[in-house]
Amino acid sequence: MRSHRYRFPVAVLIVALTTAPGLSAQRGGRGLGVPANNPFQGKGLPFEAGFRAYIVANMAGMGAAVDPKEIMSGTETGAPAQTNTAGYADYEARFRSLATQEANAAVRGARLGGARSLVVSDAHPGNGFGNLLPWEMDSAAILIRGTRPLFMIAGIDSTFGTLMFDGAVASAGSNGIMAHTFGFDAFTVNGKRLNEVAIMALIAGEMGVSVSMVAGDDVAIEETKGMLPGGFVPVITKYAVGRIAGITYSPAKVRQMVAAGAAEAVRREKAGAFPPFRMDKPYRVEFTVQNGMSDENIAQVAAMQVPGLTLERNGPRGFRFTTDNAKMIGYVIDAMQPVVIR
Amino acid sequence: MSRRALGLALCAMIAGVPALHSQGTGRGAAGGRGAAAPVPPPAPPGDADTLPPGKYFGVTEYDLARTKLEKLVKPGGFAVYIVTDMEGLAGVVNNGREMSTGRSGNSPDHQRFRQELTDELNAAIAGARLGGATQFFVVEGHGGNNFRNVLVDKVDPDAILLRGWPRPNVMETGVNARMNMMMVVGNHPNAGTPGIIAHSYALGSPLTVNGIKLNESGISAFIGAEFGVPLGMVAGDDSYAAEMKETFPSAEVVTVKVAMSGSGGAMLPLARVHAQIKAAATRAVQRAKAGQLKLLTFARPYHIAWCIRNTFAQPVYEVMAKPAGFIIKPDSASGPRCFTYDTNKAEEIGTIMNLVEWAALKP
Repeated sequence: MRSHRYRFPVAVLIVALTTAPGLSAQRGGRGLGVPANNPFQGKGLPFEAGFRAYIVANMAGMGAAVDPKEIMSGTETGAPAQTNTAGYADYEARFRSLATQEANAAVRGARLGGARSLVVSDAHPGNGFGNLLPWEMDSAAILIRGTRPLFMIAGIDSTFGTLMFDGAVASAGSNGIMAHTFGFDAFTVNGKRLNEVAIMALIAGEMGVSVSMVAGDDVAIEETKGMLPGGFVPVITKYAVGRIAGITYSPAKVRQMVAAGAAEAVRREKAGAFPPFRMDKPYRVEFTVQNGMSDENIAQVAAMQVPGLTLERNGPRGFRFTTDNAKMIGYVIDAMQPVVIR
Repeated sequence: MSRRALGLALCAMIAGVPALHSQGTGRGAAGGRGAAAPVPPPAPPGDADTLPPGKYFGVTEYDLARTKLEKLVKPGGFAVYIVTDMEGLAGVVNNGREMSTGRSGNSPDHQRFRQELTDELNAAIAGARLGGATQFFVVEGHGGNNFRNVLVDKVDPDAILLRGWPRPNVMETGVNARMNMMMVVGNHPNAGTPGIIAHSYALGSPLTVNGIKLNESGISAFIGAEFGVPLGMVAGDDSYAAEMKETFPSAEVVTVKVAMSGSGGAMLPLARVHAQIKAAATRAVQRAKAGQLKLLTFARPYHIAWCIRNTFAQPVYEVMAKPAGFIIKPDSASGPRCFTYDTNKAEEIGTIMNLVEWAALKP
């Protein structure tokens, strides 16, 4: 029997454990949105020759992790000066390093498969998008960390040969481990439900870049198969038995699986096995923000300013917009981050 | 008594300096300005915030610091003066827990990035040595942990460190004509530039000399240039690199990361960055020896203009607006917190910035 819908608990936990009352009021004046003249929007990555692999390292879906306290530092809220404390012990002492090594396994595998330029995006908002340890990264990989436009796939363009997800999470409402879709309870494009991987696949697909590997829990893999008809190399690194519980492998085993999957993915991608994910234009996007959001937060989303976009309200927590440019979906997600990591 | 006042008194005791015994105002008669500034009377401990650092920390004159450093430079060698900072290190994006010890006194990211600072510094020293440099003077220019960030047990054993603060001219203490070249690692883009943790001291916009914008490295290099010390090598994010290439076309510039916001971007692999810094430092020394590095010069008198960041509370701003011993002019046409100053000595820019910094950062 289907249990009641779960929301990704991090935001709730962070509020419960670390937020001083009144923080959201402090944020209130700032408003949400993408600055009209953001000088960083569309900025490219340093060019490197050879087959380019873009690896999204999302700690929320990494092997072995089942609980938000393993993937969040607990210091995410507030201004930088206020975040200046030691974080959760498991996060700081173990899982940041394990996540880095898992990303390195993907890098190693991709290189074995034939990739020569390797970019890793630290796509999980823990510690201000600074989870992976730069000093433990594979010395061949460019690491994208910190806040940035299109944060999950920042800087990706048509020079990349493939997009890989190490650490996919199942969509909000599913029974995956820490299942969530950014700050949404529901997210559809043209009426089709998309998870985080599929949303990013749509943006990358517009640039002709296809997804070749997805590693994550069994629920995330199964639902992504249904969303990306072109297929990909699936790597199941854990099995969900609860929202914050799972059947997990040792990190060493996970690294082997991810490296093998990444190598196979690049080989098959180079052989043209995976078409870019595309949908019919214009994209009719509808989303419902998380149930845990306060009226004030929802008002912030309603007042959100994203240049070139008109956001319509279609329910108490529901919104919709239409666009021909998949990047706009990413900019909406960017603009909502201050509310999601509240 | 506030905790800060108590701390100041304790620090003064530890430093062996009587708290209220005047050691000069930070700038004394040797300053070379036109008018001799009146020495402010000793204030009661409660007003400590309005006093210049010399009162409590026995900060020497800039000239004295320079004399002391000059004596350490061995003749016949090639001495490199290295300015260090942390915001522009490879991997750094966050001005909170990556840049200072913070409330907990133990931010793990800050501790690890001190190692990265030491690594980039060591790479610069190793490269310079390959190019023929023989002495390495390192100034600690990052405020987190009160200008003590280089790991003393991990730094190249030939390095001579200028550490702790307050001291004269925080980012160019004692630079002098016996130095052969300047290098900078870890510095950041100018205030208002789209780059990672872009700022300039406590200013809200770039400082200008005769209308030309200088970032922190630019100010240090200008002061060094007055002593005939050319800028050889700098490393930082792509925005900083672009600024430096424009102002210092003859210097070696290493890009360690690409900014994608004020607190995010694409980090080049650390090992690659260290190798690039080392190679650039070698080339810089070789080019210095070949006389290929140009000095940044401006026509005298230098017209300096700056604006204090408007985020500082009024009492803090009022201290910043009165750098002890300097008669600066308000420049209300440029903004409510803007000033100008004309001088013939570049080092005075560093001294004014040091006094402004004092109001913002007092240990």
